[in-house]
Amino acid sequence: MPSPRTTELARHRKERMWMWVQLSPVLAVLTVLFGGALVLAVMQSLGFAPWFGVNTFPDFSYFGALWGDWSFWQSLGLTLYYATVSTVIALILGTLLALALVRTFPSKKLYKYLYKLPLMIPYTVGIALAVIMLGNGGMISRIFAFVGLIGDPSEFPQILKTHYGWGIIAVYVWKQTPFVTLTLYAVLLGVGRETEEAAAILGANKRQIFFQVTLPQILPGIVSSTLIIFAFNIGAFEAPFILGGGFPDTLPVVAWRYFNDADYTLQLQGMATVVSIALIASGILYSYLAFYRRYERRIGRN
Amino acid sequence: MTKVQLKGVRKEFGAFTAISQIDLEIASGELVALLGPSGCGKTTTLRMMAGLEVPTLGQILFDDEDVSEVRVQDRNVGMVFQRYALFPHMTVEKNVMFGLKVRGTPSDEIKRRLEEILDVVQLDQFRHRFPAQLSGGQMQRVAIARTLITNPSVLMMDEPLANLDTKLRGEMRRFIRDLQQRLGITTVFVTHDQVEAMELADRVAVIFNGELAQYDAPDALYQRPNSIEIADFMGASNIFKAQITGGIARTAFGDLQLDQTVCQVRDGSGHVLLRAEAIDLLLSDADADQNLIAGKVTGREFFGATVNYTVDCNGEAITVNEQSRRMVDVGQDVWLTIQPQRIWVIQNPV
Ligand SMILES: Nc1ncnc2c1ncn2[C@@H]1O[C@H](COP(=O)(O)OP(=O)(O)O)[C@@H](O)[C@H]1O
Ligand SMILES: [Mg+2]
Repeated sequence: MPSPRTTELARHRKERMWMWVQLSPVLAVLTVLFGGALVLAVMQSLGFAPWFGVNTFPDFSYFGALWGDWSFWQSLGLTLYYATVSTVIALILGTLLALALVRTFPSKKLYKYLYKLPLMIPYTVGIALAVIMLGNGGMISRIFAFVGLIGDPSEFPQILKTHYGWGIIAVYVWKQTPFVTLTLYAVLLGVGRETEEAAAILGANKRQIFFQVTLPQILPGIVSSTLIIFAFNIGAFEAPFILGGGFPDTLPVVAWRYFNDADYTLQLQGMATVVSIALIASGILYSYLAFYRRYERRIGRN
Repeated sequence: MTKVQLKGVRKEFGAFTAISQIDLEIASGELVALLGPSGCGKTTTLRMMAGLEVPTLGQILFDDEDVSEVRVQDRNVGMVFQRYALFPHMTVEKNVMFGLKVRGTPSDEIKRRLEEILDVVQLDQFRHRFPAQLSGGQMQRVAIARTLITNPSVLMMDEPLANLDTKLRGEMRRFIRDLQQRLGITTVFVTHDQVEAMELADRVAVIFNGELAQYDAPDALYQRPNSIEIADFMGASNIFKAQITGGIARTAFGDLQLDQTVCQVRDGSGHVLLRAEAIDLLLSDADADQNLIAGKVTGREFFGATVNYTVDCNGEAITVNEQSRRMVDVGQDVWLTIQPQRIWVIQNPV
């Protein structure tokens, strides 16, 4: 006669089996779409491309050629620079905006609609707007010339197509500030004003309230929203392609150039670039998360 | 020890008037309850005292000094929020030390006062826990400790017991009362429970619809409410229409002799309030000489220590409450009597 304990376990096993069966359609889709593509990309970057008549798998020479070239590291630097600066600016602006939105002020309703506008406008439109507004001979330069701040629109400082990337950063920030705001606004509504009020009554000033009470409570929202926009910024292609300063390009643009080269064997080099981006991005994001998890554990969140 | 005064305080939220006008004086070291139904403006009143809301009109004075312009941070008040508002990312210890830390108190003094206050609220073994790992009563005590460690001149508590279960509520009531008496700190607490208000407070301010309806000691409020609404809110069940002439109240169930030294009345219409526990229930009419009311028991509610009888007296249902030393059966003919000095008359002000 089986003991009750074993029957219990058997039932448990059955339930788990059933759970996996139910999950299998989703898992299949996930594996094929993401896992499959990733495996293929990695294999191709290692010399597996029989459809081009190339099959030297495993062959690390593509990575070697890529990483051995100084311009790759310059491109990486630029990519990280644009991604980081725009993420930080969007985070600061988005946080300020979200903090403002949980307070009451006149015509708040209007602003609550207005700030979401960039979320609904496509990136390409944003890029076009940047060209129209920020270029030499663009709207802003003309206005500056009109009011006499500069003699001629062409004297307007170069914003676009430089390696400072202010045009790229402007587009990212314009598009992503609302996203950060939206996320943090929701988090702030959940947190409520009471802990801030309690802190004020206990004698804390505005700075102390923000850094010691509000910030730790909205940190999960900050981490998840910056994670998302940073990952996007590292991989984004249109803005640096159109608004960037030319060679050295950001890594996604470099990859794009390889893919479009007449010499189609360079596609493998392009794949190596893409895989490099993925490796670096996941490395950074993983450390970021690990760092945050450590902080969370330190303050007792599980 | 601080005296708190509200002078002609009014609060509007946009077009909505939350507090139409309140004048209130809280003596130094006094424990005052703000009592009223939900939405009457208790929290708003408290928040104005703390400086979290700015009165639309009127003044708030601490020790005769207008603090209306003083920032929240500088008022040195203490507030225990209804949902405690503990900092979820800090341990009990850090929560409690917060007020002293932000004020730049030297760390050895912080340490000393932390130990002292953790001892008072008996939270020593929970000092490294986070709020999410505490029970309601423990969170409550953390909130109180976090406030008291800053030595506030006025302590405010918004429905401090509303989120606790019955047994804990009794314990916390005694705890708060003891603490307040020991420290002698001026305390204002909000409640919608009249029993809680009467048990804890030196004086009770009843607020209805954003106005101070009555401000009195608990027994005065209970025995001598100045309106039917207050009597009703304080749990009175026997309120009857009466015609007053020459110190006699004529009611549907007979004439009642009043004691005019207890309640000054004028001739005209009014209501008599007969407290259920002030009425004697007799089985024969020979045992009393005045204010005798004939009736029949129509209902009985047994509460253990006490029992409530509903007695029909000429069409009016009078509730009588007595110690359950005996049981009178439903359907029995009985006589009720009440001493003149126990009858309270409510008349509309002229
Ligand atoms: N910030 C606010 N904006 C608008 N109305 C408010 C605000 N705070 C409170 N009120 C309103 O004022 C009235 C009194 O509220 P409150 O003081 O919280 O009542 P309670 O006696 O239950 O504590 C309620 O009708 C409430 O809806
Ligand atoms: Mg309230």
